[in-house]
Amino acid sequence: MFRFEDVYQGVLRDLNFTIEKQDKVILFGPSGAGKSTLLFLLNRLNDPDEGKIYFNDKPLDAQPITELRKKVGLVLQAPNLFPGTVLDNIKYGPSLFGEWEEKEGKKLLDYVQLPSSYLDRDVEQLSGGEKQRVSLARTLANSPEVLLLDEPTSALDYRTAEEIEEVLEELIEEHRLTMLMITHNLNQARRLGNRGLFLSDGRLLEDGKIPDMLDNPEQKELAEFLDQ
Amino acid sequence: MAPEISNQSLIFLIIFVIVPLALSYYYQLGVSKSVIWSTLRGTIQLFAIGYILTFLFDLPALYGIPFMLTVMIIIATFHARQKGKELPYVGFIIFFGLVVIEAGVLCLWLIFDMIEFKPSEVVPMSGMVIGNSMTAMGLALERMKTEFKENNGRLLASLSLGAEPKQASHLIIQKTLHASLIPNVDRLKTIGLVQLPGMMTGLILGGVSPVMAIKYQLVISLSIFSSVSLSAMFITLCMYRYFFNKNKQLLQNDEEISNSRS
Repeated sequence: MFRFEDVYQGVLRDLNFTIEKQDKVILFGPSGAGKSTLLFLLNRLNDPDEGKIYFNDKPLDAQPITELRKKVGLVLQAPNLFPGTVLDNIKYGPSLFGEWEEKEGKKLLDYVQLPSSYLDRDVEQLSGGEKQRVSLARTLANSPEVLLLDEPTSALDYRTAEEIEEVLEELIEEHRLTMLMITHNLNQARRLGNRGLFLSDGRLLEDGKIPDMLDNPEQKELAEFLDQ
Repeated sequence: MAPEISNQSLIFLIIFVIVPLALSYYYQLGVSKSVIWSTLRGTIQLFAIGYILTFLFDLPALYGIPFMLTVMIIIATFHARQKGKELPYVGFIIFFGLVVIEAGVLCLWLIFDMIEFKPSEVVPMSGMVIGNSMTAMGLALERMKTEFKENNGRLLASLSLGAEPKQASHLIIQKTLHASLIPNVDRLKTIGLVQLPGMMTGLILGGVSPVMAIKYQLVISLSIFSSVSLSAMFITLCMYRYFFNKNKQLLQNDEEISNSRS
């Protein structure tokens, strides 16, 4: 699905790997390792300084950028909701492409386990967990093939984070999504991921299966990171 | 008519400067130097412009007016440009905007016989329009930069969903225009109630009847209202695109913005 060939961008160096359809990839690494930069490259919020990234065997930069962004959905750490109602937010993406249908609203809230009465609620009235669910529904509204998640639960309390995690687990299975997720929560990684990429100083140091790479790390950097 | 202010009377204006100086000294505000410097500078500038205006008002309108307006627009451009100098082409865009707005306002004044085409009428009236437009453009640029910084996450979210830069910037454009226009609307609402506008006060002191002074004030207030609104709109709609590169990616700092079109 994605292929990185000699990619350099900012801190990221010499990245060469592929991501297959329906892979559930967890990105690990210390702060500043380039994890968010990597996700931004896939949604083309940023471009490589050198090298090429391919999506479905076509170079990313050869595809219409707004169409690509629609297919490769991104959920950021903060919900970053737009002012207005829940409905205003979830219809935002499809409306850009003239594809919004009113009946979708309830279905999308159902995906993220929010009652349909929330559609007309002002986003300012929502709790942190509810906002993150709406942010997730907003990304799902575009029917993406890939879901990029940049620490979507790190700003939430333990219980709420667990709830969002359950929502994600169901969604990814149900929609057969390919997922790349940054998380520092190892339990979450074990639960949601089937493959791990460990980045340090912008380099990909270890690429393996989850839970194997967490139980028996090959690189001492990963072992040290997991011990912290 | 108000009595002519003698040079001796002007000297007593120093009392108005002594008050802030004393406050600065007493409370150790550290602004004494800048109070003295700005008073001196302001006085010299005003006298200089008084003599220059006397000379310019005697010039034939056909080249005295274009000359003076060009000088004013160039100075206003340099001043407004300071608020967004990292943005590409900002100086050129401000200059172009000021020329078009000033030309439009001047044409309306002349077509509807509101003023005569002579330097003593066109130059001070245009000065007010250009000055206020300059401030509006500067404020809009500053506000827009702040909004782009504060809404970085929302902009990224919007772009990541497939929005074009214009669609992603919609909220920022809206907020910038709102912030630029509201003080303008408020000023117009309270005009004459809270304070008498400077021009009207000047005309009344100069012996013109209050009703005539009000007519002139209305012409200038509404002209300023319209030109300030247009200036803020023009600069915002022209400049938001420079916060993105050609790949519809948000530029994250001043260096990226200034290099984006080179």
